[in-house]
This record gives sequence, C-alpha cells and structure tokens, in this order.
Amino acid sequence: MSLVSVQHAPAARPIPVPTGWAVAARQLRSVKILFPFIVLVAIWWAIQAAGNFPDRVLVSPQRVFDTMVLLISRGVIAEYVSTSLKIIGIATAISIVVGVPIGFAVGANRYAARSLEGFLRFLQGVSGIAWLPLIIIWFGFTHATTLAVVVYTLIVPIIFNTMIGTRAIPEHYGLALRSLGAGRLRLITDVYLPGALPSIVVGLRLGMGYGWRALIAAEMLVRQGGLGDLIFGARTSGQIDRIIGGMIIIGTLYLLIDRLLVQPIENLTIARWGVLRK
Amino acid sequence: MSVQAAPIATTSTARRALGQLAWTLVPAAPFVIVTLIWIMATGILNPSKETLPPVTDVLASIKELALSGQLATNVVASLYRLLLGSILGIVTGLIGGVIVGLNRKLAESLNPVVVFFNAISGIVWLPLMITWLGIGNALAVFLIWNTVFFIVFQNAALGVQLVPEVYEQGVLALGGGRWQTMRSVILPGALPYILTGIRTGLGFGWRALIAAELVGAATGLGTMIFDAAEYHRSDIIVAGCLIIGVIAIAMDRWLLLPIERRTVRRWGLVADTEKER
Repeated sequence: MSLVSVQHAPAARPIPVPTGWAVAARQLRSVKILFPFIVLVAIWWAIQAAGNFPDRVLVSPQRVFDTMVLLISRGVIAEYVSTSLKIIGIATAISIVVGVPIGFAVGANRYAARSLEGFLRFLQGVSGIAWLPLIIIWFGFTHATTLAVVVYTLIVPIIFNTMIGTRAIPEHYGLALRSLGAGRLRLITDVYLPGALPSIVVGLRLGMGYGWRALIAAEMLVRQGGLGDLIFGARTSGQIDRIIGGMIIIGTLYLLIDRLLVQPIENLTIARWGVLRK
Repeated sequence: MSVQAAPIATTSTARRALGQLAWTLVPAAPFVIVTLIWIMATGILNPSKETLPPVTDVLASIKELALSGQLATNVVASLYRLLLGSILGIVTGLIGGVIVGLNRKLAESLNPVVVFFNAISGIVWLPLMITWLGIGNALAVFLIWNTVFFIVFQNAALGVQLVPEVYEQGVLALGGGRWQTMRSVILPGALPYILTGIRTGLGFGWRALIAAELVGAATGLGTMIFDAAEYHRSDIIVAGCLIIGVIAIAMDRWLLLPIERRTVRRWGLVADTEKER
C-alpha cells in the first residue's frame, strides 16, 4: 500500500566482542561516516571564505559551532529541545493508546475498514498544519495547539496501518482461538496484537516522520518555545548561526529518535514475530 | 417447486444487490456521519461563527471564493509550485538514486549525508531559505524539491539495489550492452520502488507546500487559510482545508494510482492490492 513506504531497517548484526582489531575497524567505520560531512563542511567553509558574505547571509562553520556551544552551555538548547521532545512524546503516547484500538476495531470488520479507508486518506491529505489556523482560534497560541496538530498528524498513519495489519491476519487464526474458547481480550493479545505489530510499527515510524515535521512547522507559527521557534525566531534577528545550529540539532535529534527508539522496536518485533510481509 | 424456488432466488439476488450497494456506499458513511455531527454541534451548542462555522457558511464561502476567482488563483498558484518542485525533485532524485544504486561504494559513503539531510528535509529549511530566497515561488519550490528529492532518491537507490544481479547477467550474457540492461532490467525492476517514492514524496511535498505557504508566500491555499485566520473567518479556513484534502485525494486517485496501475500492475511486478478484500 502507498502508506507503507520503503523504510528498510538494516538487519540487526550480532555484536562481536571488541578485540584490538575490531576496535580499530570500528574507529575506521566512524571516520568513514564522518568523512562526507567533513567534505561538506570544507565546501561550506570555502564558499564562505571565497564569497565574503555578510553575517546575515552566511556565517562560517566555526561561528555556528561557537554559537551551538554557547547555547548548550547556557541551557538554552536544553529548554527548547525538552519542549519539543515533550510534545512529540505525549503526542506519540496519545496516538498509540487511541489509534491502535481504533485500528483493531475497524480492521476486524470489512465494511468498517472499507468505510474508514477513504476517510483516513482524506484526513491524511489535509495535513495537520492546514488545520493550524482553526486550532489557533480554538486554543490560542499555546502548547495545546501544537499538541493537537501533532496528534492529528501522528494518529492517522497509526490507525491506518493497524487496520491494514489486522486485515492481513488470516481469519482462521481468530476462528481457531475462538473455537477453543478464547475471549475478546485473549483474541486481541494473542492474535491481533502480534499479527498486526509489524504493520503498526511501520505506521508509527511513518507517523513520527510526519509528526516531527508538523511539530517543527507548528512551533514556527505558534512561537511558544521548541526547536521550530528557535530557528524561526532567529530569522527575525538575522542570526544565521542560530538557524543553522538549530537545523543541525533538529536533524541529529530526529535521527537519534529514529535509530535509538523506533528502529530497535522494529527490529525486535520483526525478529520476534517473523519477517514483515511486503 | 419451481414456484417456490423463484422468490427465493429473487430475494437472494436482491440481498446480493443490497450488499453490493452497501459495499459501494459504505466509504461515504464517515463523511456523512461527521457532517451530521457538525450540523448537530452547530445547532445544539450554538457556538460563535469563529469557533465553529455552520456547514451552510462553509459551502457559501466555497461558492463565493469560486465565483470571485480567488479560489482558482490560489489553487493554480499552489499546484504550479507543486508541479515545478516535484518535477525537479523527481528528475534529480531519480538520476541520483539510480547512479548511487548502481554504485555500492558510492552509496555507502554517501549514505550518512543522505540520511542526515533527509532528517531535515522540507520545512526545516524555511527560516534559512526565507533569508536567502525571500518570500515567493522560489522558496516554496525549493522546499518541495527538497522534500520530494530525498524520498525519490532513497527509493530509487533501494529499488536498483534490490534488482537480482542474475537478471542483469542474463541480459549481459545474451549480448546486451550497459544501456540495454539499464532499460530492460534495472529500470523496470526498480519501478515499483520508484513509484512508491513518487507517491509518498508528493504526499510529503503537498504538506510541505501548505506549511511553506502559511508564512512564505503571497498567494496559494496555505496563504488563503492563514490570512483568513487573521480575520477570524473560520468558514474560509474549513473550506480551504476541505479543498486541500480533495486536491490531495484527486491527485492520488486520478494521477498516481493510474500510473501505477498502467505500469507496475500490468507488468505483474507487484500483487494487486485492490483485489484483496
């Protein structure tokens, strides 16, 4: 389906016991990862040095680095980051708690599934950020507004993928369990949840990708703290160093969340409950 | 016997027809339900028009926007940006993705940069690009290109990498050249991934466009709803959201799905998902 975009997680490698050679090899690997970035920064530096741009247009990597160190040491970054992370965390929790049961309920019935599919597609077409003006009228310029936009964005892929995952479970599994006397709860914990989990995780990952962008965009407009506010606020005072520094932090954070949180869950579920069907 | 059999047959066909009808009508149900709740909410709670505009107001403002030509101007402005940005994104992403997909060493060394820039693709560039490009078409086109490029690029590269080497060798063994392998093996093999990339990319691009237009444009659907918020014209906001959704659906249904059907499904490269019920 279109929503299940290609996001292959690399298979988990067994971690070898680090010997002298392995450590050296790993260091070589990390250098290899950094190498293209070093080239990029060098190009940036060369352009900046050659072009002699004013500070409002482009600053040197050195300046950006200094600004980042300053912002981190003063605790400014920590505050903006914690605001953003808190909102995405709460939004994710709400979306899972609300979205997954809805997905199960709808997925269990083919008429319900068919009826909701078009509606969810429509909701997904109207991005959360498009509702932002209306939500601002409702909740004002507050964190509640940002949270509402992010939940709206995150919950749709989760419901959708839970539904698809539930539909893909062979009907006999449920029937078999029911004929053995299993109740509704048992059916959910033993059939629906494990069967749909790989699909749910794909939905979660896709939703967090959409949600993170919606969060940044909403923060830019709501202006109540958060990383979007940090970089958009710096624009009015022409602080390019803050903007670029903020972008680097946003990218790094997103990767950390994806690699350290979402991908391990994906690997774990796929490894445990069999390969994700494509 | 035959007298009795006839009515049974008709009821079963009638029931089947009814089931068929329900099956075709059922997608409309949530829309109808939401509209009914909306009508009831405005009728019973009687909120101010700014909080929740009545359905009739929204329909009236759609009509008004359409008749005054405002709607057409904004839709055309948005679609023009989307078209330009996506074509740039698809072309560059496809070329880059195929080159990188064919060259494993290059793919490995470039991967960290691609992953990082994908993480900050789209809207994150807005503040920097407003200072560089100013408010206008260039800004929106850049943001869409930036969004579409990485998704198409990654999918194309992956698709090319996943084409079994045996097929390539087969064509080579039969005397095909490099261009022929490319045309008859690699591109068709990677096509499902490429099309998925384009479809997903356009979805992301449309969102990025609306977000960009909220602050970074003088016309467009995003600008229209954000301006309406200043005057607390909720009816225009809701109307704009509905139009945004309809355009997104229409694009997917009448542009991307047919392309996918005509190429990938016809060649039997992926299972037809529409058939499973």
